[in-house]
Amino acid sequence: MIISGIQRRNFGRILTSIFLVAGAGGSACRSAPKTDVRISLVDDAGDTVRLAAPARRVVSLIPATTELLFALGQDSVVIGRTSYCDHPAAASAVPDLGDGIKPNIEAVIASRPDLVILYNSGQNAAVASRLRELGVAALRVNTDALSSVPRVARMLGKLTGNERAADSLAAVFDTALASATRPPADPRPRVLLLVWEQPPMTVGRGSFLNELVERAGGENLFADVPASSGVVSIEAVAARNPDLIFTTAEGPSAFATRPEWQVVPAVRGKRFLHVTGSEFNRPSPRSPMAIRELTAKLNGRRP
Amino acid sequence: MILEARAVSVRYRKGAALALDRVSCQVAGSDLVAVVGPNGSGKTTLVRALLGLLPLEGGSVLLDGRAVGSWSRGSLARFVGVVGQQEEAVFRLSVAETVMLGRYARLGPLAAPRTLDRAAVMAALRRCDIVELADRPIDSLSGGEWKRVRVARALAQEPQALVLDEPTASLDIRHEMELFELMRQLVDGGLAGLVITHHLNLAARFADRIVLLDRGVVIAEGSPAQVMNRATLSRVFEWPVAVTTWTDGSPQVVPLRTGEQLGDAP
Amino acid sequence: MSWARFGLLASVVVLCLLVGLSAGAVPLPIGAVWAGLWSADAEASAIIRDLRSPRVVLAFLVGGSLGICGAALQAMIRNPLAEPYLLGLSSGAGLGAVIAIATRGGGAWSVPVAAFIGALCAVALVYRLSLVSGRRLDPHVLLLSGVVVGAFAGALMSAVMVLSDAPGVRNAFLWLLGGFGTASWHALGIFTVYASIPLALLLFHARALDLLALGDEPAHHLGAEVDRLRRMIYLCTALLTAASVATCGIIGFVGLVVPHAVRTVFRPLHRTLLPIVFLVGGCFLVLADVVARTIVRPLELPVGVVTALIGVPLFALLLRKTLV
Repeated sequence: MIISGIQRRNFGRILTSIFLVAGAGGSACRSAPKTDVRISLVDDAGDTVRLAAPARRVVSLIPATTELLFALGQDSVVIGRTSYCDHPAAASAVPDLGDGIKPNIEAVIASRPDLVILYNSGQNAAVASRLRELGVAALRVNTDALSSVPRVARMLGKLTGNERAADSLAAVFDTALASATRPPADPRPRVLLLVWEQPPMTVGRGSFLNELVERAGGENLFADVPASSGVVSIEAVAARNPDLIFTTAEGPSAFATRPEWQVVPAVRGKRFLHVTGSEFNRPSPRSPMAIRELTAKLNGRRP
Repeated sequence: MILEARAVSVRYRKGAALALDRVSCQVAGSDLVAVVGPNGSGKTTLVRALLGLLPLEGGSVLLDGRAVGSWSRGSLARFVGVVGQQEEAVFRLSVAETVMLGRYARLGPLAAPRTLDRAAVMAALRRCDIVELADRPIDSLSGGEWKRVRVARALAQEPQALVLDEPTASLDIRHEMELFELMRQLVDGGLAGLVITHHLNLAARFADRIVLLDRGVVIAEGSPAQVMNRATLSRVFEWPVAVTTWTDGSPQVVPLRTGEQLGDAP
Repeated sequence: MSWARFGLLASVVVLCLLVGLSAGAVPLPIGAVWAGLWSADAEASAIIRDLRSPRVVLAFLVGGSLGICGAALQAMIRNPLAEPYLLGLSSGAGLGAVIAIATRGGGAWSVPVAAFIGALCAVALVYRLSLVSGRRLDPHVLLLSGVVVGAFAGALMSAVMVLSDAPGVRNAFLWLLGGFGTASWHALGIFTVYASIPLALLLFHARALDLLALGDEPAHHLGAEVDRLRRMIYLCTALLTAASVATCGIIGFVGLVVPHAVRTVFRPLHRTLLPIVFLVGGCFLVLADVVARTIVRPLELPVGVVTALIGVPLFALLLRKTLV
């Protein structure tokens, strides 16, 4: 097994070198082996990913895609994950290959994957081309928005040879999302999405949390900020006077009693929305459920 | 006696040789004493010991009759003014402001300068003949002017003794003479003066007494005529010299060139 | 100093404070500011009284303190390029803050307290290093030790941030970069308690700073107790700077640029220099904070970034002026 793995890698390496020498350096699209290309798609970074056969050994370096693969029933093909891949519980049985932000290429290669899934960040461009040089297909996806769930599910379905499950998951997701989405009520509760306390940080309209809250019928206090996150002052919060304060992680206890926060009426009135659970960290098939949970909480606190 | 060292011995490090070996030296008011000697003979060490800057292995230092250790920092500054060899200014003060710093030991930390402080500064500027420089920034002064500003600052302390370490280093003839004339005037006015110098000839012309040091030991002490004779100087400085006499009676040293004989001197 | 100049300076201070009070995430006209200050139930009064006022006053005090620290250190080290953060303080504070977050230290005050302790540990280490060479608090040795300790602490900090999996460790950077967004009367009170004695001591010894700037030997001969003075200045600047780091993160360039700027206009004698540096430093930081909270409204830029962005070109200008 090991020998054939090395042979496969070397074969891929030699071929890749020939193509790299022949063509412009860096373009990963030419690393196609001479055997039949059965599966091919364009990923979120614009690269074409090609596989001769459905992927049977997948390293998923994004918690969202790990979750999706398990949801697609493809758990058996997942041979590597990141330390943050915490859902479903069965994922903990999969070997942990470090954090996905700075992937450890050696550890990834050592598990002999035929497909590696990476987050589409600037850093990972170099990682992806390195993997391709070494003969491993690399898929880069954006998993920031809710719309990524059906899109990425379909990509994974195609690459693992299970398009039917993917279509079905996408359909179920779209339906569940549509039914979970509340029409904007009047007035919409204004929610401060406080993701960190020292210094106070919130998320803008570019973020997933923003989407969740809006679909649950609420309004992000800082929806006018285009960036996905940023530091704000207590004064800005007080001036905008949220109806509710949404916290994850530590919860309101970290700051609720601090004197400077008492200027905000929602803090004085202890109108907090504390949620835990990784379904609030990333888009996933559980998102419609998360939206329903938020809706219930928002309704319970509606002024 | 204003400044007095009695059989002072100083060792810099355990096991090293003595930097000063039972050296005695006295400076009274209106006395200008010059400390001379080859490099490393202990001139600076003697002065630092006199100012209480070094721990003594033996002997004692008395200032105005009291042991130097019993003087507080402030009272010492009111008693003796010191002009060191080199000083580089970091901030661009004016000459008057620099001289006013000499009043630190007589002013409280927060008090504004009083009339008597301003008077002392003006007197110091006058005695050093730099009144017209009062508002000039100190980075625009020549070497000689800067030296005189520092002497004025020491005078502003209204001390009873003045100690100068190689004051004429890197000064030209005119500035050297001006400085020594100034020292002579100040001493004649009542101050006790102690000056370390390499300039044997100027020391001979201006000083009342000379202390000749070599390797931490006093070789000779007395008037210039007594101390500066050919045999002693040639031995101490390890170089043949000739000694002539100037019109005012002071001995003047002329180092001989290689090959020159004593007979060549007039 | 002439009364005309003093009057000008005083009006600049008042103006800066007013600008500080009226600018912000929600710009308020002066009338609203006035109403908010004095009447309890004006619309904006909660914001003005409980958030903006302490914020502006704190920024003023911190800016003034950092300015004085810079001036005192520049005199003590005899180097016009000295900054309070040269002594390894900023990296020490950063290390403390990051360790507090990484170990999930409980309580809202754990990060500032840890930053304070970290800063003081770095300073103590620098002092200890300078003793090793046998030359107590010698300027050259101090500078070198400060750089070395700073680099060491900085490396440790990076290591902790990379290795720790605690959430928000990377957010420690944001806290460190400086900000007044969570200023309160409480924080102001604590800072005042820590800052008043060191500030008073430094102001009291202003004339001695003039002497120190001449060099150790001249200062000694003019009557200054050099060793005791150096220790006191070192300790006071360390305490003041550590207190400001604990209150609002690392804000550089104030201690470097403000004394320089003041020296180009006013006399460099510290009895008059220090109070002016305090006022100008305070105004500088108040204005920098205004920029920090209005330029990407409603988000906030870290104040340390603003002071660097303003400070560096300003410093270049000053250099040109003094060298030309």
